[in-house]
Amino acid sequence: MKKYLTMVPLLAGAALLASVGASSAAGKYTIGISNTVQGNGWREEMVCAMKAQALASGEVAKLNIAHRNTDAAGQLEDIRNLISAKVDAIVVNPADPAGIKAGLEEATKAGIVVVAVDQAVTEPSAYIISNNQEQYAYLGAKWLFGQMGGKGEVFYMRGAAGASADSDRDKGFKKALAEFPDVKVAQEVFTGWQQDQAKQQMLSFLATGTPINGIWTSGIDNVIVDALVESQAPLVPIVGADNAGFVGQLSSVKGLVGAAVTNPGSIGGAGVTLALQILDGKKPAQQTVLVEPQLWENATDEGKAKLKAAADPSLSPEWPVSISIPDWTTYTKDQIVACKGPGE
Amino acid sequence: MSYFLRRQGWVFGLFVLFVALFIVTRLIQPAYGSGDFGSLVRAVLPYAFAVAAQTVVVIAGGIDLSVAAMMALTSVTAASMMAGASEEYALFVVPFVLAIGLVLGAVNGMLIVVTRVPDIVVTLATLFVLQGAALLVLDAPGGAGAEWLKALISGTVPVPGLPDGIDAWLPKALLLLIVCVCIIWIPLRRSRLGLSIYAIGSSELAAFRSGVPVARTRIIAYALSGLFAAFGGLALTMSTGIGAPIPGPYLLASVAAVVLGGVALGGGKGGLLGPIVAVFVLRLVRTDLTLLAIDPNVTAIIEGAIMVAVVMFGAFITMRGRQS
Repeated sequence: MKKYLTMVPLLAGAALLASVGASSAAGKYTIGISNTVQGNGWREEMVCAMKAQALASGEVAKLNIAHRNTDAAGQLEDIRNLISAKVDAIVVNPADPAGIKAGLEEATKAGIVVVAVDQAVTEPSAYIISNNQEQYAYLGAKWLFGQMGGKGEVFYMRGAAGASADSDRDKGFKKALAEFPDVKVAQEVFTGWQQDQAKQQMLSFLATGTPINGIWTSGIDNVIVDALVESQAPLVPIVGADNAGFVGQLSSVKGLVGAAVTNPGSIGGAGVTLALQILDGKKPAQQTVLVEPQLWENATDEGKAKLKAAADPSLSPEWPVSISIPDWTTYTKDQIVACKGPGE
Repeated sequence: MSYFLRRQGWVFGLFVLFVALFIVTRLIQPAYGSGDFGSLVRAVLPYAFAVAAQTVVVIAGGIDLSVAAMMALTSVTAASMMAGASEEYALFVVPFVLAIGLVLGAVNGMLIVVTRVPDIVVTLATLFVLQGAALLVLDAPGGAGAEWLKALISGTVPVPGLPDGIDAWLPKALLLLIVCVCIIWIPLRRSRLGLSIYAIGSSELAAFRSGVPVARTRIIAYALSGLFAAFGGLALTMSTGIGAPIPGPYLLASVAAVVLGGVALGGGKGGLLGPIVAVFVLRLVRTDLTLLAIDPNVTAIIEGAIMVAVVMFGAFITMRGRQS
């Protein structure tokens, strides 16, 4: 008998949870979201953009968000749970382009619209909306090598090994490198897109005393400027992303020459918009939609003006300042900052 | 019956908890059916092997922190060997990778026995070594899995004469798990070696004085742990079709399931069934949290709270049982 005592609090808890689940807001669709990096500014903005766009569209009744740190096998589990939850569409930022193919295929078979954001996937039935990562790296690297006078050593701070966004950026970086034969890579590191790790790597590199003429970062940028300033190292030209902290530094840190390349985390909102369009029967002409990046630098007056217009100190320093994408997102700044989805 | 209940009380309680959770899941999502159960088992598979690997060494009075790194290394080895190779070649890859696990596990055990450095330190060191080795094999997720290997865990087991309605509840992944675990565990449990593993975990000195070869038994326990971890690595490649060099969240999950499964962390007590049922419980909790669309930042807290609550409640029941 004692054994059955276990069930009493459990069933009570279940009843409570079930009553929470039953509440719903206006709108007709349920959208599932799967993301496998938690605690990263860019990814948090992406998730908030998804929530804000779902709310602003008025078409979404409920979001089912699976958002945790895990691997491709864990993402498969999340995707299959979302299939069990009978969502109408799944917007996914893939942990690996090939590793979640089986899950996405099952979702499509179950009649669920699958949209991959930020990075490509190998499953042919999935729609992809992503920032053009190859162009992202090419734009920034080309500008950087030009600033370096076409020669010297560059510290190459990549993202996470194996992420398709990282391998695409590597292609763009190598393309620019081929155009400047006198530029050499002093060292190549994977930051894992982690702020603390990248700063540590920068400090270790500075400790070696190797001279460098430029730093290319895969978007972990403001901590690199901090590391240089703190250790009173010479401020070489730096390329980063349009994170609020870095964009602010480009205007405020004396002697810093750098450029921010846009990589809007709001692509998550665009993914929700694309999913809703497909659900409403408006399929895009191509499976893959690319959003083109822009470059804002502080070496010219024109660039400085752009940076000034873009700077937004009210945002968290790790959030990209491009919090919306024209034609794709309709939420307001307050909505994305509030980070509330439908029914919250 | 009461003897069985006393011996397997914890496992029985966990099983009741699983069934209760399953009913809760059906309440939340009435359409939750056999296909979804198949998904659950596939999600369980790598965790189940990780927890099996951990359980064997914990029963022997040790701990293995290198489980997840071992899975990553065996997974990338399998995926990189099978990439571009023929389907038949995989018949060679599978035993080869399992042998790697067995050998690396034995190396763990030998280091502990020979150097007398505490197991937690040795396996922490091998965690880093294996993690680096995995990155040497594949510096980024990639490789491929043989189609027949992937097919081993997709779909259901066709049992002739069984109605489709019941057959649908027998996913191949479940059969694979049961077969792989039973082939190793049941003969082991019934052998002198199995008894020795429990003995050294219970009291090393008493076991030594009774003539148990303590060093050899410990090495074998770690070797078996490596073998189970290699199964886990293969399970990862089977489900994703690739190998990923960065270890997944399997180390802490394996320790959690060992505790929840009624295995004493001090060693010498518990079995393999409890921790595996515990894995099913933990994965189903994750499913329910997704189905309920709970705020993702809260889910981790809930998962942890449920674990502590169940273990505390179990300890309370056991204590009451002893008093009466």
